Amino acid sequence: MKEFNVVLAGVGGQGILLAAEVLGTAAIKEGLNVRVSELHGMAQRGGAVVSNVRIGEKVLAATVLEGHADVLLGFEPLETLRSLKFASEKALVIMSDEKIPPTELAAKMMKYPSMEEIVEKIHRFTKNVIIVEAAKLAKKAGNILTQNIVLIGALAATEKMPVKTESVMEALRELVPPKHLDINVKAFKLGYECVKKGKTKL
Amino acid sequence: MPDLHVLLQDKPGKHVLLLGNEAIARGILEAGIGIVTTYPGTPASEIGDSISEIAKDAGIYMEYSTNEIVATEVAGGAANCGVRALTAMKHVGLNVASDFVMTLAYAGVRGGLVIVTADDPECYSSQNEQDNRFYALLSNLPCLEPSNSQEAKDMTISAIEISEKLELPVLLRTTTRVSHTRGPVVYSRVTKPNLKGEFIKDVKRLVMVPANSRPKHGVLLRKMEKAKEISETSPYNIVVHEGKNKEFGVISSSSAYNYTVEAADLLGLDADILKLGMTHPLPEKMIGEFLKKHEKIIIVEELEPYLEMQIKAVAKDYAPNVEINGKMSKQYFPREGELSTRAVAMGLAKITSRKLPIDFGKIDENFAEVARDLPPRPPILCAGCPHRASLYVMKKVAGENAVYSTDIGCYALGCAPPLRAGDIMTCMGASIGTAEGISKVISQNTLAIIGDSTFFHAGIPGLINAVYNNHKVIVAVLDNLTTAMTGHQPHPGTGMTGMHTPSERILIEKVAEGCGVKYVKVVDPFKIKEAEAVLKEALARTGPSVIVFRAPCALMVVRERRRKGAEIVVCKITDKCTNCMACVKLLGCPALIVEDGKVEINEALCVACGLCASVCPYNAVECAKMD
Repeated sequence: MKEFNVVLAGVGGQGILLAAEVLGTAAIKEGLNVRVSELHGMAQRGGAVVSNVRIGEKVLAATVLEGHADVLLGFEPLETLRSLKFASEKALVIMSDEKIPPTELAAKMMKYPSMEEIVEKIHRFTKNVIIVEAAKLAKKAGNILTQNIVLIGALAATEKMPVKTESVMEALRELVPPKHLDINVKAFKLGYECVKKGKTKL
Repeated sequence: MPDLHVLLQDKPGKHVLLLGNEAIARGILEAGIGIVTTYPGTPASEIGDSISEIAKDAGIYMEYSTNEIVATEVAGGAANCGVRALTAMKHVGLNVASDFVMTLAYAGVRGGLVIVTADDPECYSSQNEQDNRFYALLSNLPCLEPSNSQEAKDMTISAIEISEKLELPVLLRTTTRVSHTRGPVVYSRVTKPNLKGEFIKDVKRLVMVPANSRPKHGVLLRKMEKAKEISETSPYNIVVHEGKNKEFGVISSSSAYNYTVEAADLLGLDADILKLGMTHPLPEKMIGEFLKKHEKIIIVEELEPYLEMQIKAVAKDYAPNVEINGKMSKQYFPREGELSTRAVAMGLAKITSRKLPIDFGKIDENFAEVARDLPPRPPILCAGCPHRASLYVMKKVAGENAVYSTDIGCYALGCAPPLRAGDIMTCMGASIGTAEGISKVISQNTLAIIGDSTFFHAGIPGLINAVYNNHKVIVAVLDNLTTAMTGHQPHPGTGMTGMHTPSERILIEKVAEGCGVKYVKVVDPFKIKEAEAVLKEALARTGPSVIVFRAPCALMVVRERRRKGAEIVVCKITDKCTNCMACVKLLGCPALIVEDGKVEINEALCVACGLCASVCPYNAVECAKMD
């Protein structure tokens, strides 16, 4: 593996930083060099949040170069669009279908774009899109807040996954409080199975 | 990193994935630093927060000081008794601390003292993007600049060693991308901190009256000469890559170095790269020799041309004819905002007449189509945030015409529509003094809006000024019982310390009374009617008044409910709703969404604060108000 770049995009509070840290920790467990970029403070308050995970021997910079992401993990459809410029032509987009309308939409009485419009826009950059009902699966796992791990599970079911499932499990054990571990493992499995069994929306 | 105790493990050789800030915390443990002080501020906060979690176990004394100058004074005082100390702050915090720092440089220290300044290129979470390397130049303090987590840890230890060797504080300058990027860190041995100091009386050394400080200036300059020698042989100042191309020589530091290596790789530019990690004082001889070896020099650095200015001066002595390309006269790299591999690649391509292997123009064009009708999602006040209620009340009573002088904290987000309660904001504590000046020269009402932690940090002198000079301002202290924006650190009003030991709360209303304010009231912002009545009273007065709007941060409330396992019964919109949109238009709460012209509650976000129920003209929102 020369270099592997993931862009994680969503809304503050969706557990994006934890998902990125899980991938980064799993990579460290395998002895790989890694960079995980985060944003804290004012940038986080309910606003758009982007994190990058970069794995590879020669990786130094914290951020992914435009057109160089192998995977775009979209926690929210509009935020997925906002990070599209990072996707390479062969990128895999794994996107949650859970919409979080920006407050401006409500204030201006604007409509949230349809899923068809969103996918059409993604197709301008890459044809590889998987839509996961992450919120539904997270609720099924036992907690709506585990959407982040559902998406990691979905990624693990694809050939794009840069690390082994055992390493992810090890990372989860290290990063998730013991009482929430079972729910997170379940979320991972539901995301994984959903892609493996082709139960995605696209 | 949920369990910060990983930082305590005395396992040399262990590989851990750490944030730059956590790596500095680990460096604190390995360096045997005994005293750690801070005032929280992004992107520096996790240094203090990590130490706060493990201080007791590590045998370290840690405190959240009231502001950055006090934090530096506490650390400096201990260091002058021979105890190793570190203080951490965001870049603008060093402005606050600078008065002490400038003269402490004259007096020096006996135990090592590290001052961490975390800069924020791109203003991700700051009011400016000043380049604090200039403080090193201004104060004559050595400066180290890490480019990743490993260096952040290692340089913390080196900074202590250099500080003790020179008896001078040392600046450790990070940026957001160093502080908030995780990377692998290899542990070394932990050193047990020593907290037992000794104060040796020495008036000539420590009392900076003119007669003593005058010679101290010379002492400082001689220390700088020694520091230059350290810089010349520093392991952090090295040619990291010897290239085949001898036409160009590249000089870089910090995050810019990371982008430079990747951009050069992208362009197939195989040039010598000189990486500078100790950036004050610069290794003049080393740089001079590097200049001599090349026809053209490329300097890649973030923000100001700090290296470029000095390297141009070095060139005058060593290689007057060398071509220097950077961001001054030849503007190949941007001076504003943060750098990126793209920005550096574009500059390098221009300088070296290479073609970029990527068509960024095509990506931009394609993305412009996607972004055209993409609604923005700026940071906003959380659902249930008490500031929304406070600002709503202020706007309702004082109106659109009044001037709202706001301050640094979450409530600054209230400047956005629909609340629009923030007309001017500059720096910590400035809301009050600024409001006083405005009130003196306009006829409208003037309100200062300031948070609890910010009030303790820098609000009190402004308040005393309002009392003594009788300014007609209303000071609204938005007390959410924590330092929310930076991650819920304690402050003097919370009753908790950085060591997790209880302390007696200092009440803002008592402070205001002590300052001589005659009208001081405490209100619950969610009790809209009562809060309105108090504000009306305050507006009728001729002198200053203080209203403390007190209600805990919504994030803390939700966390506490989750901990207790209490279920949140979200607000419910009944069929009395006429979809008049009053709630949506007045409050801008993220839990209020509009689907097909109808107001709905986002159940994942609503925390049942009941503010929408209070403002609904039709009583159409049911809210089971929780405690």
